Amino acid sequence: MKYLSTSLKSLATGVSLAVLGTTLSLSVQAAEEVRFTVAYYSAKTGPYYEALAEKFEKSNPEIDIKIEVVNWDVLNQKLTTDISSDVNADMAIIGTRWLVDYVEQDVAEPLDGLISEEMKQRFVPAFLSPGTLNGKVYGLPVAASARAMYYNKDLMQKAGASVPTTWDQLVDSAAKISKIDKTYGFGLQGKEVETDVYFYYGMWSEGGSLLKKDGSSNLASSASVANAKRLQSMIENGLTQPGVTSYNREDVQNLFKQGRVGMMITAPFLVNQIKDEAPDLNYGIAPIPSGTSRATYGVTDSVVLFKNSKHKQAAVKFMDFMFTTEQRAVFSSGEGFLPVLKSVSELPEFAENDAVKTFVNLLPEARFAPTIAGWSEVADITSNAVQAIYGGADAQSTLDKAQKRVNRVLGK
Amino acid sequence: MSITMTKKTKRSIFCWLALSPIICIILFPFAVMFFTSLKPRQEVFSFPPTWLPSEFIWQNYIDMWHATKFGNALLNSLYVSFSATLITLLVAIPAAYALARYNFGAKSSYRLFLLITQMLSPIVLVVGLFRLIVWLGLIDSVNSLVLIYAGFNIAFAIWMLQNYFHTIPKDLEESAWMEGASFLQGLTKVFLPMAVPAIAVTAMFTFINSWNEFVLALTVLRTEENYTLPIQVYSLVGGRYTVEWHHVMAAALVASLPAAILFSWLQKKLVTGLSSGGVK
Amino acid sequence: MNRNLPLYLILPSLLLALFVISYPLYELINLSLSDVNRFGKVRGFIGLENFTYIFEDQLFIDAALRTVVWTVAVVGGTILFSVPIAVILNTEFYGRGIARTILMLPWAISLPMTAIVWRWSLNGEFGMLNATLMNVGLIDSPIVWLAQSATAFPVQIGLGILVSIPFTITIFLGGLSSIPIDLYEAAKMDGANLWQQFKRITYPLLRPFINMAIVLNVIYVFNSFPIIWVLTQGGPNNETDILVTYLYKQAFSFGHIGQASAVSIVMFTVLLIFTIFYARMVMKNEK
Repeated sequence: MKYLSTSLKSLATGVSLAVLGTTLSLSVQAAEEVRFTVAYYSAKTGPYYEALAEKFEKSNPEIDIKIEVVNWDVLNQKLTTDISSDVNADMAIIGTRWLVDYVEQDVAEPLDGLISEEMKQRFVPAFLSPGTLNGKVYGLPVAASARAMYYNKDLMQKAGASVPTTWDQLVDSAAKISKIDKTYGFGLQGKEVETDVYFYYGMWSEGGSLLKKDGSSNLASSASVANAKRLQSMIENGLTQPGVTSYNREDVQNLFKQGRVGMMITAPFLVNQIKDEAPDLNYGIAPIPSGTSRATYGVTDSVVLFKNSKHKQAAVKFMDFMFTTEQRAVFSSGEGFLPVLKSVSELPEFAENDAVKTFVNLLPEARFAPTIAGWSEVADITSNAVQAIYGGADAQSTLDKAQKRVNRVLGK
Repeated sequence: MSITMTKKTKRSIFCWLALSPIICIILFPFAVMFFTSLKPRQEVFSFPPTWLPSEFIWQNYIDMWHATKFGNALLNSLYVSFSATLITLLVAIPAAYALARYNFGAKSSYRLFLLITQMLSPIVLVVGLFRLIVWLGLIDSVNSLVLIYAGFNIAFAIWMLQNYFHTIPKDLEESAWMEGASFLQGLTKVFLPMAVPAIAVTAMFTFINSWNEFVLALTVLRTEENYTLPIQVYSLVGGRYTVEWHHVMAAALVASLPAAILFSWLQKKLVTGLSSGGVK
Repeated sequence: MNRNLPLYLILPSLLLALFVISYPLYELINLSLSDVNRFGKVRGFIGLENFTYIFEDQLFIDAALRTVVWTVAVVGGTILFSVPIAVILNTEFYGRGIARTILMLPWAISLPMTAIVWRWSLNGEFGMLNATLMNVGLIDSPIVWLAQSATAFPVQIGLGILVSIPFTITIFLGGLSSIPIDLYEAAKMDGANLWQQFKRITYPLLRPFINMAIVLNVIYVFNSFPIIWVLTQGGPNNETDILVTYLYKQAFSFGHIGQASAVSIVMFTVLLIFTIFYARMVMKNEK
């Protein structure tokens, strides 16, 4: 009743709802409830975290962990809208690339004072650093991956092609494989999340970069244009699957599992999917081809603690349990991610696994999404420009236009 | 007699021929749902695709039911749609009665207000609605959907009902009142029974609108246990690393059948309901 | 009788509608004039800046124009198909009940489900649409329908028409059943052929129903979100974006709450103008 009258008063005065939300704070409960928003990785994600929470609650009966599984394509939207209304969970898994928005708007809690130095030391440094901003740790890496090139050995052999190490060789091998009936040389992603990233691989290897030194967009660089033209000509010459702009990453992966494309670039978790769904597929994993330089895309997802949480100690306690060798090993192998804990990466299951090794070896040259505000909008603008190019638009002018739009978002 | 028979036969052939293209298009997705849902998992991505599965895997439906938590979403959808319909009728019937039977000062301005609410859909107001729901503390609650669906259906419901109420002679309830029945008795015993067909059709429209709503449910619902059917099925497709199309198709088919059966059963009533509602 | 009785009777509906529709509208007006961060915190009044921002955004202008094309094409197509279908369904023939039921079916499936099934059917490699069209010999090689707006948008319009037909023919069937049969018999006596009967009797008497169908469909289609969202999310390259998808992305993908609210207000204004325009037109016709 008290909150209703408060609310009505606020309506009358037209005070923003964001402020109102603070009156909605959870009432005190018997067990301390910690809400944890978890990103959906696969059908295994929900059960994994439920089991994790249960195990934790057994030894910590005073804490009640509530898991909320959310799909990736709505995750950021749900978190931002929830935060805007102060109804967000205590902790959440987010794409580390969003973290800067959260930190800038002061909704993420720095963890340095809350977690022990020992706990910080558990992580592989390369994966902890993207979650560190202005010298403070805001996000603990919960899933890490890099990108590498998967290739179909049978198709390579049948076409007399070799595993490419440069983009010129890739075009050459793709041409050979495409001659096989109903088969496409190079699987090119052209829709939805990471469409822009699929474009960056070639751009980076030509020496391009996302941002100039002054922090403005470098999307229309000569490296970028050269890459655009190369991909365009591959599409025109039928070296990719037809209609690339209707293929998201999963669609291209499906083609690969069917043995219908010769090569594609994607994350380690495809290994697990192939194991389950196409165990007979004869494939290999190699570094992404290089041009003047080599690069891969590194991605981490992070666990963050929100500033408005009333259960920070309990949440951190749960994190401490979550990031133990045993619990992380189950997750990394179950979902097919790279180990984020040093101790996990030393386990034979990972240390002696060729696929994992290939990816781990690429990490020194991995580039992470730049820490700039509004990254999701920048990615969207880039993806749209890339789609236009794949559809046949002029590379230079399309990228020029996109660069201007990106700069408007960046305020440059 | 035999001449009229052949005439009707000829006409039937012509009618069916003329309708056949659209009927094919309408039935096409049903066929896709049916056959895809029965394919073995690996066959869903076979190339070139075939209509018929190599074997019919009825087990897919059982797997789907568990994997997608279908029963739970179905209950949520039923709860939301029934509650929204009930609330809509509860507030719309008196209002429609007032508009049909009385002349009062605010009548035309109320009509205008209804017209304006009628033309809005949740998507246009989605940002504001979200804030309203937050204010109520109903994020991730199906009850927020009940409230809002009811609110958005009021205008159409009142409009349908009042047009029908016009056609019920006023004398009926008036004579009941003359005979000493109370105001409420006159309405519930005499008037409402006459209005049942219109109420049924209005309920049907409200139910369908609530059953099908997508944007708001997508924005408001957070946890799987609260998902309505459209969101549950959509969540199997959007933003996942793998899509189990045979499950999606099975779920879509099972979700569509009850409404389809209801429709074929009530199809005549819908038409008479709309026409007796009249167009004004 | 209590003079205030009618007011009491309309009061519950008024309160609910006010609560659910007017309050969010009030919020939107506020937000559209404010600087709002992505977490919805209002940082101050900025006048019409959000409006200038969207009107300077080429994507918004494109989406607005496309919304006009979308609305006109879907509503026009719906009416064009629904009138003959309703006329056929209103004549007596064998199996009419079945035919009516089949034509109602698209209404029974919710829009997002329809769109999901079609998205799968339209898949370039594995979709049954290409397979079927190739079997029948209508096309030689698979078309990746959703890869370019040149095919995706027409497909979306077609789908929009398909799902609007059931509601529309329901209205028309109601209208047709109210036309007295004697009129046709009299016309037949005068030697009018089927087309003349349609032109002189059916069409004029159906006219009010057509008008109603146009208005209701314009409102529905202008606001329609699931078909485009599920099939293409407005892509590729924003070329199938309409106002509602643009609005949704601004609000929930990019966190531009202020600009999104401005889009809402613009859409509201357009709908308001349309409604007023229509009300005037009807009144003129009635005179």
